[in-house]
Amino acid sequence: MTGIKKRLEALGHGVFYLFLLVGGQGGAYLLLFPVVLVYVSTSRAIHRRLGSYIRHRFPGAGGVTRFFHVFRLLLSFARVLVDRGWLGLKKGARLTGDFDNSELLLAELRRGRGLVLLTAHVGNWQTALAHIDLLGIRVNSLMHYAEDEVAKHFFDLKDGGPSFNIIRNDGFMGGMVEATAALSRGEVVTIMADRYAGGPGVEVDFLGEKARFPAAAYGLAGATGAPVAVLLAAKTGRRNYCLHVWDLIEVKRERGGGYGQFAPAAARFARAVEAYLREYPWQWYNFFDFWNPAVDRGRAGKGVRKYGKA
Amino acid sequence: MEKLKAELKEMIIRDLKLQGVEPADINDDDPLFEEGLGLDSLDAVELVVLIQKHFDVQIEDMDEGREAFA
Repeated sequence: MTGIKKRLEALGHGVFYLFLLVGGQGGAYLLLFPVVLVYVSTSRAIHRRLGSYIRHRFPGAGGVTRFFHVFRLLLSFARVLVDRGWLGLKKGARLTGDFDNSELLLAELRRGRGLVLLTAHVGNWQTALAHIDLLGIRVNSLMHYAEDEVAKHFFDLKDGGPSFNIIRNDGFMGGMVEATAALSRGEVVTIMADRYAGGPGVEVDFLGEKARFPAAAYGLAGATGAPVAVLLAAKTGRRNYCLHVWDLIEVKRERGGGYGQFAPAAARFARAVEAYLREYPWQWYNFFDFWNPAVDRGRAGKGVRKYGKA
Repeated sequence: MEKLKAELKEMIIRDLKLQGVEPADINDDDPLFEEGLGLDSLDAVELVVLIQKHFDVQIEDMDEGREAFA
């Protein structure tokens, strides 16, 4: 990010935080409506960025309907950003959460195999992650952690910092060694499993077309014997969110079989996200062509192998 | 020590299913990843699990991992 762009972004955030302090969450929501409407009416870029998802999720929608969907989606995302700022800035501010089938996760954790918790860039996922300590066991998040981002993670703003341990995925072997150790201790490792950004990946059907999903999480689960749970958060009201386990997956793996063997597990994850999007179609926050991302696939899913593998 | 090294090489070949390679083909100072044996991050996870299972040694973090797998 260039220096000027970074400073402008910081200024924008500052102005918005000031407005939040004065007008509160409700006031900021009111402001969002005209701001988002003007933005959606004047920016071609946002229609390009969201067009791919809208076409896949709402096939056959005409021009006016597509405009409406882009507006709803962007408004929904903007409200999540407002919530994040409001929670960080306003003392005593809180969202009320429902974790309607948490017993599934607790039952798995009692088996002592650890748990790989897959989530995605949908709903108010950061807020939900910040409240994951209710599982009563150490939670580790394998993630890209940009300390210099102006838009701080919600958990940075929370009193006392994040309630979980961060395993940086830019470390040795993408943090997989630490994640393996955490699962061996029976802990939880959360991973964002929707956004492919290079590295091991598999192609599966998603909303009617093949899309590439990251595969490292399934390798981790397969090698350690930990179960995989798909946990997605949805914003269900102005001050409410809902956490729901959409699927529990036992990953089958043959040692030495490579990442391709995890396509069935990734397909289950994709089905779970599709089910979520049927219920919450405007809470999808991957603002790029998900089916044709601009990433280097050259070495995806392949090791540079001197001897080859069975 | 030599026996342990031989055991480790056999374990890597057998459990990671490396094809067309014998323990004698692997030099003691061959790197495991990238330009060496060409193992990937999935192999790293499997190695951590195997070493814990066979030798009761837990590799906890990336610093230990880098040293152990160099």
